[in-house]
Parts: sequence; C-alpha cells; structure tokens
Amino acid sequence: MAPAMSDTKYEKVAVSGLGAVSAWGWSVDDLWRGLKGGRAAIGEPEQFDITGQRTRLASEVPDCLSDSPWARMTAWRRWSRTDRFAVVAAAEAWNSAGLGQSAGDCGDASAPVVGVFFGGSTAAMWEAETFFSRLTSREPGQQPRIASLASHPLSSPGDAVARHLDVSGPVESVSSACASGALAIGSALDALRHGWVDVAIAGGADSLCRLTYAGFNALRAVDAEPCSPFRKQRAGLSLGEGAGVLVLERESDLQARGGKALGWVLGAGASCDAHHMTAPHPQGVGAARAIRSALNDAGLGADSVDFVNAHGTGTPLNDSAEWKALEAVFGERASRIPVTSTKGLLGHFLGSSGAVEAVATVLCLHHGLIHVTPGRGEIDDALGVDLVVDEMRALSGEPVAVSTSFAFGGSNGAVVLTGRGQA
Amino acid sequence: MSPRPEATRIVITGFGSVGSEGCGEQPMRRMFQQPPVLRELDLSSGYHRADSARSAVLVQAESLSEHLAARQARRMSPPSRFAVVAARLAWQQAGLEVGVGGDQTSVVTSTSYGPSSFTESLLRQILLDSPSQASPFLFTEAVANAPAAQIALLLKAQGANITLTQREAGPLLALAKGAAEIRAGRAERVVVAAVEEANPLLHAVLDRFGVLAGSRDSEETARPFDLRRRGFHLGEGALAMVLETEQAALDRGASPFGVVGPWIGAFDSTATRAGYGRGAERLAERLRQGLQRSGLSADDFDLVVSGASGGRDSDRLEARVLRSIWPRHEPDMLPPVFVPKAHTGDHGAGILAGIALGLMGGEACATPGFSESDPALGVIPFAGGRLNKPNRMLVSCLAIGGSAAWLVLESPNL
Repeated sequence: MAPAMSDTKYEKVAVSGLGAVSAWGWSVDDLWRGLKGGRAAIGEPEQFDITGQRTRLASEVPDCLSDSPWARMTAWRRWSRTDRFAVVAAAEAWNSAGLGQSAGDCGDASAPVVGVFFGGSTAAMWEAETFFSRLTSREPGQQPRIASLASHPLSSPGDAVARHLDVSGPVESVSSACASGALAIGSALDALRHGWVDVAIAGGADSLCRLTYAGFNALRAVDAEPCSPFRKQRAGLSLGEGAGVLVLERESDLQARGGKALGWVLGAGASCDAHHMTAPHPQGVGAARAIRSALNDAGLGADSVDFVNAHGTGTPLNDSAEWKALEAVFGERASRIPVTSTKGLLGHFLGSSGAVEAVATVLCLHHGLIHVTPGRGEIDDALGVDLVVDEMRALSGEPVAVSTSFAFGGSNGAVVLTGRGQA
Repeated sequence: MSPRPEATRIVITGFGSVGSEGCGEQPMRRMFQQPPVLRELDLSSGYHRADSARSAVLVQAESLSEHLAARQARRMSPPSRFAVVAARLAWQQAGLEVGVGGDQTSVVTSTSYGPSSFTESLLRQILLDSPSQASPFLFTEAVANAPAAQIALLLKAQGANITLTQREAGPLLALAKGAAEIRAGRAERVVVAAVEEANPLLHAVLDRFGVLAGSRDSEETARPFDLRRRGFHLGEGALAMVLETEQAALDRGASPFGVVGPWIGAFDSTATRAGYGRGAERLAERLRQGLQRSGLSADDFDLVVSGASGGRDSDRLEARVLRSIWPRHEPDMLPPVFVPKAHTGDHGAGILAGIALGLMGGEACATPGFSESDPALGVIPFAGGRLNKPNRMLVSCLAIGGSAAWLVLESPNL
C-alpha cells in the first residue's frame, strides 16, 4: 500500500546504507541470506560455560574475521566484542551509502555534519566479567588488565564507530534496555529533521555475556528450546548478539548527491508503560501508544501498515501484550496484517534488537518479501495473529512496516519504515 | 499532537537535587558554598591498591529517608533512589501533583555507569557463586534505565522514557532531548535527570586508570584549571529538572527559572577510549559554527558553566575550546567560569546542579582546589561571591572518549 501523504512538516528521511552483524555472519548479505533461508541460528554458545543454566541456547556471532584486514588493525585488539560488532556494521553501512572513505570533514564548514546515534545495553560487559573474575581471584598470576575496561561504558560502541569513521558531529548513546536501538533511530530522525546533522549513523550493538545470560535465566524468561514467538508453546526468549546500522539522510540531500535510497524512515514513537519494572502492561496500552505515536509522527493512519516486524520475544506475557497492542491500534484489521519476528530466527539482541530488526525490515521492504518466524507448535489462537510461517510473503508497491521494541522498565519504541518492494 | 513552532520557548520550572549535603535546594546551595565534602569509601572489598585515592563526594543514605519510604527504597538500586527523590522534588517545585504525569509526560535521564553496585553484586553472585544464584531483582535494577523507569512509575509518566549514556556529555544531551520531545509535540512536559552512583568498585577502577585526584599517591585534592591539577573526585547524586513550554508554565502560574536554548554536539575522533584527544581546533570549530547558526557570539554570554573537574588533559582541552570563543580576551576578562564539579565531584548531576544555581543565582565559594593558574590554559575559574543570574549562559561538557556537548540557557526575561 502506498503511504498516504504525510501531514507533518518534516522532509522524508532516506535509508542510504545498511550494515549488520549476526549469527549468520558479518554482513547484510549474510543477514538477508539467513532471513530468506528461514532457519533459526540458535544453538549452544561456545563463548562461555552455561552449566547450570535453564537454557543452553543462544544465537552467537561466529568468530570468522581472524584472517581479515580487520584483525590486523591495532584497534581491533583493543575493541570489545560489542565494539567490533558496532564498527564492522557501521563501516559496512557507511560504505554501502557511498559517502566516501570516512566522515572526516577536517573543519570544512560546508561538509555535511555526521552524527552517531547508537543503542545498546551491554557494551563490554563480557570483558568486564573477565576483569572482575581476575580482580577477585585469589589465584596467583590472575592480574586484571585495566585496559580491558576502557570499552566498558555504554557509550563505547557509539564512540568506537565515531572514532573509526572520523565523525565530528554529535554522538548520542541510548541505553533503555531492549528499546535502545529503536529509540536511537528515533533520535537520529529528530536530528536530521531539525538540521542538527546532515547524515546520521543510527543503530545498535550488543554481545552475549554471563550477566545477561544468567539474569534472564533467573527471571525464568528464557525458553529451553529455540524461542517460538506467538506460538501456543512459547516459553521464553532466546538470547542473541550482533549489530544493525542504518545510514540516514534527508531525501533531498541524498538525491542531490545522486545516492540511492534503500528505504525510508517515516516516523518514530516512544512511550512508557509506567506499570511494572519487568512485566509489560497486560493490555499492551503503552506499546499501543508507542505505535500510534510513530504512525502519527509519520503522518500515517493505521490502515497504511502492510506488515509488522514485532518485538515478538516468545515470552508468554510479552507476546500476549503485544498482540493486545496491535489489536488496539489496528482494530479488526490486526488479524489480517502479516506479522513476523526476527527474534524467531536470531534470538533477542537486547539493546540492539530494534536496530537489527529495523535493518531486517528495510531488507524485507526493499526485496518485497517478509521473512518467516520459525518456532515449534501451532500459532496461539488466543492471539489471532497472522504470523508469517513456512514461507516468505510477497509485498508489492511501496509497502509500509512498523518495527516494535519493548523494554524493561516499560520503555517502548516503534519505527515506521517504507521501501519499494521488488517482488 | 503536531510539532510546535521551532520558536516555542522551552522553560525549566522545577529543580530537585540529591547531593552530598542532602536533598533539596538549600543543601544544594550549601554544596556550592564550600569545598567538596570528601568521605572515605568502604575499602573492605580489597579492590583498591595501597597507593589509591580513597575518598569521593558521597550521598548520605539517611538523607533520602525523609523523601523515600523504606519499603520503596528496598526495591530500588542506589541511583534509582537518588533519581526518584530528585524527580519528586523537581516535580513538586514545579507545582505539579505527583502521580498524575500521564501520556504527555516524558522522562529523559543520563548516566555514565548505571547502577554499578547492583551490577557488582550480580557479578559476585554469577561469577563467584553460581549463575543459578543470580537475583532477578538485582538484574532488573542493574539496567541503566532503571532510574528512568522508577521515575516513570512514581509520576505515572507514560510518555517517552529514554536513558542516555554519553558519559560527561550526557546531561546536556538529555536536556536537549527533553526540549526536543516537547518541541516535537510528543510531550507537554519532560523530567530530565542526571544520576550517578559512586561505589567502591567503580572508584577503584577509575583509580587504576589514574584519573582520580589521589591516584598513585598524588595529592587527594581536585584542582580544576590549576597548574597542579592531577585528577578529579568521583561524585554521586542526582539532579532532576522539569521542562515545559513557557506558555504552559505561565498558564498554570508557574515561574520559569530559565529557557533551554540551542545545543551543539561534536566528537573528537583523536580521543582514546579512556581519555581525551588533541582535537581542540575541530571541537572549537563545531562550537563556533553552532553558535553562529543560532545567531550568537561570545559577547552574548555572561556566564560559563564548565564541566572541568581537575583532569590534566580534560581541563586543557576544555580551556582551549573555551578560549577559542574568546580568543582575544585576557583570562580575567572572560565571563565568570563557574566549575560546579569542583564542589560536587565529577558526575552528571554536578553539572546540572551548577546550571540550577546559575539560573537561580546564589552564593558560591571560590573554586575549590584552584590556587595557581596554568598559563597554558588561560582560564581562571570563578573567584567566589555572588553568582548573578545571567542573561545567557554557555554550558560546556567534554567527555572521556571524545564526545562533547554545549548548551545555551537563557533568562526567561531575555
């Protein structure tokens, strides 16, 4: 469905570059191949010992860059695992946007101002755990390396991206748990609309670590099997890791430099349940408000939406609340809107999930195909969701999608995207 | 709701402070009338080395009890407690009723390290005991956005809930973000808060990086802009502000303290992950361009609130960037350069508390720790006395890792 004419005064914002790191590999091509393949990349993680945990599964990024030019960089050895995901995805996005070698403007007042807007929730927690183990160890020779904590602050992945691409504009790191990536895209959209930046590198990165793995186990929020979003037998999420990055520009700027749009970010919205620290509002009231806010920001009505890339964690409460939210926003049409969950394939990337799911959504819009949501058992008929299973669904025209992200603390984010389906 | 006109004035109508002297306006004012009150940390965990700094500017837990019931406090991490008390005080000062925020109230917070003591406790459980010992309660309160979520629960604030973690630049970005939420028509009012917790592990880690006053047997006195500066004091606390449109404030009879003006963000890509860079010229150029775009020049400012805290490299960079705005002025001809972190220790709420004092006006002692100017810097910090309400202030925050933010605040009467 073609988007209705926007009644906001803002210029359209184009997606000119994409980057991704996931369990399928360190590129967008890997991501799209995996999405098309439709097989979940969730297995036993090798990174750390999972003895005694409720689940033995995660979606882990393969260490396959050891022979690449990346691994020969001095910075590579210094970066945390999350920093590496962030920088590789951002570099891919930057290169695919065709904006040159780096963002460095060397003080040239006429050069575009580039900003970084990055979400995440773990940063270098994995490395900090090793530091802490050594710090508290009574074993001889277990000296902690303080340098390993230099990437610990949550601003580190965004800073690493800015440093690598020689950015001179604003850098903003968002850490609102699992909504961080979506909120970072919203911040980037604001910055472009208000002219604070000319090019925005928006995204997020997170890596697996023992703290989140044990924490979600303690909450009994993980499924012992690969997660099954919106299924009757769903029993929790699967953890994942990786990064997603979008390069965003105002449409007129992109056209002026002869660039090509891969899609467009039409709007973003946010809300808070103000209900409970971990449980979503059972009626999805806050989630619905975030979706409505994003549609309002895009100048679109609910009837414009062609598919939803749901937060879809696979936890009983989250999926149920999300369905209530979709019903509240889309009314009786909710059960006819195709819904997919990237988490069914790659698990939950936590703070970066909104970013990588936005990348996945742009790819679906661009290729005119909605990826499937694997899982075990039947779709929960109490939810009424038109879940995309078994085979991809075709999109045509200029379809519109909503990507949703809901977090601990009741923070919700939603992003409205469009593209030119090629199916 | 549609976006508001760009010219809509966003004002601050309430402040709430939690700091070393207690909670509220008077304790905050006291903080600025004296040198930082340093208290020795609990060193029993053995994280510190023999030559470590040993003290920080700490909140006294008992000072919160008047404002936060024990049964509520038990369910919160220290930064959540600080943030909730600060938000409640700010909300009340703005003349608003607690618990009725609704979907037109948003929350934007800033923190550098999040709830570090709860993270430490969780790591102890997972790494030293067993992963199965991880406490669900600690986990949910160990996330960086827990304070923002707790503020939302207190106020029933159902608008956007965003936590920024851009280190020292975060509080200014949060203020700019809060104003943008209102200007975009997404909120009627926003609570902006900066919050930080100084626990022994964080202190010991910063000490090992050698950035604290007192690290490696150095003198344990932070000396912002001083020739002998060696590092900063870690501080903790929270400062919350209530933002709304000027019209909304006036309509309900509230008195604005100040107007949130334009902001500028920049990044110095020469900075290391744990330090500052050499990119003063580029940062200064971004600042100059930003001010120029807003039609502002050096002569428009009658107060500078600086994020300097006593670091060797950080204060040098800060001075070089500030001097670029006033290149031909002798140091004593610059507007007063107020350095709040010299009193509060280095944390985000310190800079917001400095803004609060600046906008309200008040007494402050001479910049603690400063006695001998560094000729290489060309900046002499506030000499003490009455800090008059400015027509327009420039706030400057440069962050470890390379990011920078500047914010202009104006008198409501301008």
